Amino acid sequence: MQRLLVSIFVLALTITPFAEGITLKLPMKEGSLRFAIIGDTGTGDSHQRDVARQLIASRAQFPFQFVLMMGDNMYGADNPSDFVKKFEEPYKPLLDAGVKFYAALGNHDDPSQRFYKPFNMNGEKYYTFKPKAGVRIFALDSNYMDQKQLDWLEKELTASGSDWKICFFHHPPYSSGETHGSNDLLREQLEPRFVKHGVNVVFTGHEHFYERIKPQKGVAYFIAGSSAKLRRGNINESDLKEKGFDQGYTFMLIEIAGDELYFQTISDKATTIDSGIVHRATTPDGKPAVTATPAARK
Amino acid sequence: MSQLNRGMGLVALVIVLSAGAAQSEQSTLKSAKGTTRPTKANPDALVLQDFKHRVEQYVELHKKAAKKSPPLKETTDTAKIKAAQQVLADTIQSARTGARRGDIFTPAVSRKFKQLMYTELKGPDARETKKVIKEDAPSPAVVPLKVNTHYPEAAPLSTVPPNLLERLPQLPPQVDYRIVGKALLLRDVDANLIVDYIPNAIQ
Repeated sequence: MQRLLVSIFVLALTITPFAEGITLKLPMKEGSLRFAIIGDTGTGDSHQRDVARQLIASRAQFPFQFVLMMGDNMYGADNPSDFVKKFEEPYKPLLDAGVKFYAALGNHDDPSQRFYKPFNMNGEKYYTFKPKAGVRIFALDSNYMDQKQLDWLEKELTASGSDWKICFFHHPPYSSGETHGSNDLLREQLEPRFVKHGVNVVFTGHEHFYERIKPQKGVAYFIAGSSAKLRRGNINESDLKEKGFDQGYTFMLIEIAGDELYFQTISDKATTIDSGIVHRATTPDGKPAVTATPAARK
Repeated sequence: MSQLNRGMGLVALVIVLSAGAAQSEQSTLKSAKGTTRPTKANPDALVLQDFKHRVEQYVELHKKAAKKSPPLKETTDTAKIKAAQQVLADTIQSARTGARRGDIFTPAVSRKFKQLMYTELKGPDARETKKVIKEDAPSPAVVPLKVNTHYPEAAPLSTVPPNLLERLPQLPPQVDYRIVGKALLLRDVDANLIVDYIPNAIQ
């Protein structure tokens, strides 16, 4: 069987100075898909606003089209004023610029958030969308992974053909976190489906730090749950960890061009924490392979 | 007694009568050799059937209440979402004023559910299952266990481990299972109400 090669390596790309001191490490290829990742955001506090400021500043150099939210979009109360304080105000310049947000539900989120139009969930707890030809994104509800959702995922993955397949949800199947760690039970349900259908990349939150997991069975896993909350010093040493950062608040920028997904993780202090490429190999006839063997290199 | 409770009583009666009829019918079955063999109705199936009927009764009530409430649909105005949820909850609460714990999770259903979850809570995945529950499930101090009352909006919703969901009967979209402390809840998703619960289900 053809094997998909997923390689992640550190970039040495053109360095472009950012607003507020961020240095862009993404290639900005013509026609590429650009988006951002934030997770565990809904505090409404200064940390959320600090990260939001850097996210907004980054868009001046890296005009991303949308933002994926990893869940815990609304901590505590979720009254109308909370939606303003914990979402609309911090990201106002992005919302005003027409940037779309796509939310997944976390364990602190009332499922009624699916009716909040700016979260673009179409009234569903799990959903899929295709932001660009060749890329398919799946938002899952990891709080409640019942058979109905699994059947839906199976059907949608099957239908997605040769697209890039990117899943995002709240709970990480792999994690080096002291507080939560890997969610083995969720992984048992999802991983066989990811491998079977060639899911390339998975983004999650829940753990309040950033972690890039060593590719597992050909799937690249990222945890991005520190866009407003932080568990300092919470990452354990583990065989899973490729890169971890638990000393500050972060967000991610993503660019997909052809068979490459470029990523850059940036802190609230405008420091680049991590960057690299997830490479998706193709078969000789130019179609993406279905399964994967990771080959990480520096 | 509320309309729902009366309905559930009828359902229970029908099930008991059906079970009796089924047993009577089965008791007359004969083997290929012509000798009468003792048979029995499947009590587990009847209990789960009873649960399904009770849930269906609740969902009917929910649907009727939803027709009297503003539609829950996508909007930028979160006040409209909250208002629609509140009307739905008020309507359901009024229709279930006599609701009590055990209306849906009857003693027999509760016993069956504990049995269904036993493997996951005592078997090889028990530690991981309980870890997931412990991490996310709020305590009864945060979510008071009372039927036909609101699940507090500021309280986190527990993650229900997928292996438990695999064991339990599937639910229609109007309701879901949640965990508070050691209790298993049946929650109305959009009205955000505690429909019923099984105390000490997670052991």
